Amino acid sequence: MRLSRFARFSIALLFFWIVLFAFLPQIMVLIASLFSKGATSFIVFEPTVSNYTRLFDPIYLQIFVDSLVLAGVTTLLCLLIAFPFAAILARSPKAWRALLLVLVIIPFWTSSLVRTYALIALLKTKGLINAALLSLGLIEAPLELMYTQSAVFIGMVYTLLPFMILPLYAALEKIDPRLIEAASDLGAGFWSRLTRITIPLSLSGIIAGCMLVFLPALGMFYIPDLLGGAKNLIIGSFIRNQFLTFRDWPFGAAASMLLTFMMLMLVALYAYRERKAGA
Amino acid sequence: MKSLIMAALLALGLHAANKELVVYNWSEYLPESVLEDFEKESGIKVRYSTYDSNEAMYAKIKTAGGESYDIVVPSTYFVNKMSREGLLAKIDKSKLKNYANLDPKLLGKPFDPKNDYSIPYLWGSTGMSYNAKALGEGAVSAWSDLWKKEYAGKLLLTDDLREVIGMALLSLGYSSNTTNPKEIEAAYTKLTTLIPNVKLFNSESPKGVYISEEVVVGMNFNGENYMANTEMPELRYVYPKEGVLVWVDSLVIPKGAKNIEAAHAFIDYLLRPEVAKTISEEIGYATPNMAAVKLLEPEVAANRIIYPTADDLTKSEFQLDVGEAITIYEKYWEKLKTGN
Repeated sequence: MRLSRFARFSIALLFFWIVLFAFLPQIMVLIASLFSKGATSFIVFEPTVSNYTRLFDPIYLQIFVDSLVLAGVTTLLCLLIAFPFAAILARSPKAWRALLLVLVIIPFWTSSLVRTYALIALLKTKGLINAALLSLGLIEAPLELMYTQSAVFIGMVYTLLPFMILPLYAALEKIDPRLIEAASDLGAGFWSRLTRITIPLSLSGIIAGCMLVFLPALGMFYIPDLLGGAKNLIIGSFIRNQFLTFRDWPFGAAASMLLTFMMLMLVALYAYRERKAGA
Repeated sequence: MKSLIMAALLALGLHAANKELVVYNWSEYLPESVLEDFEKESGIKVRYSTYDSNEAMYAKIKTAGGESYDIVVPSTYFVNKMSREGLLAKIDKSKLKNYANLDPKLLGKPFDPKNDYSIPYLWGSTGMSYNAKALGEGAVSAWSDLWKKEYAGKLLLTDDLREVIGMALLSLGYSSNTTNPKEIEAAYTKLTTLIPNVKLFNSESPKGVYISEEVVVGMNFNGENYMANTEMPELRYVYPKEGVLVWVDSLVIPKGAKNIEAAHAFIDYLLRPEVAKTISEEIGYATPNMAAVKLLEPEVAANRIIYPTADDLTKSEFQLDVGEAITIYEKYWEKLKTGN
């Protein structure tokens, strides 16, 4: 296959870009994680693996476990909400679909940090939700929404939901509606059609969506900080603290490498499954 | 010919160096008008940039080197950390005509005993705030009051390990600058029993959280309480019995600064009574400048939130660098936040 000059140029540019801004910084992080912290300098060139062994201290393991639980629950909630949404989207009239997809994407035009602050305006004690419920007489005292675990999940799900909807939609749209009809004709009920036809056929979309939500959820420290009141440390804020507050760059780098490794494993698992499914 | 060009370039270079001053300060910490007046009077151009944590400032000076900035404004314990690490240039006090205006009570502090490296700029405290409408007047007077059972889920703590652990140390009667692991552990153990009361940790903008009534009591900075009072007069600021945490932000010149002359001129300008008065009135923190205090609007000068009385400050402590003991503080802070 001969590539046009433009195609070769684009690929070279992309390759160069990734090496310069993703691969080289990652190598620098790896190197930093293998040296020691100095009392008066960020890194002393004394090789050590203690940054990694320290990560297995119960305190730090707890941070990893908490983050995995947070990301896992967020992913599950996103899946439960996004699946019906994507299914309706995929079965709605063609003319509507483009509009509905644009509506899903529009929030991306605003920074997610700004949208998190907007959520605070909605959720706080004197916020819009409480004001509306109070004036409707549905509640007598304001609900405590801010700085709770629920607020964290509302924020996480709200921010990450589009990442689940889009791959699900892509997978569900491809399912031939005649398959569902045939199942229905043969007497399959709703659950049976869902679990035996729709879900197996959209599995690649479900997995892709889960990855796209789970991986960023691990690093999104500003949502638990802003909406949850910074009461729990998750990996993202832990790494930031090591670099900025505690100035322990090697330890922060080691935590960052462990996170990268976990993510790579998940991606590898996904790639392996896809290849097997393709073969 | 060549040497002539060289001389011209050199002169130009010197000229530029004398006429530009790079200032690196906390955000919203110097009124625009003060900079403009300084530029007009001195003919020195000021390049101004800001940071929002000592750590971010420190990382920049440490990695980029001092030559990038002429004036920086670190807080209390960062002054001794930076001078100990040789990051600061000595200040020539003979060039500061207005040095005598400074309050001797705020000079010669342990973080810079002879003020060789730092000139106080503004000072303030981390104490307690409470909503007098919700809790009644005089509801809290000591750090230990924060532990009362009735404040379950109603408390704000700053998101700063030295301040929070320091507060617990003071409530136990220890120094907030202790390096004794036993005392730090005792403070941690005491803090674990405070967690059920804590609604959130926030250092960014405590005033917003108090105003929206998410919390009714907790830690706060005096300037934040002062500013909140325009919207919420019932928010009271308390100097706790066990001692309040006091900090000073100081003007320093990084080692290697390109424009030491202009930096001195700028510091001296900020020490002028009428300039220091404008800064204190507009920024809402206390000036260490005695001559400026005399010029203050009476309602600002009489405001105990900004200008505490000597009684308010009994047992108060300046935060100092705790050296390597900081790792003990960090460990317990992480334990506190992971609920272990």
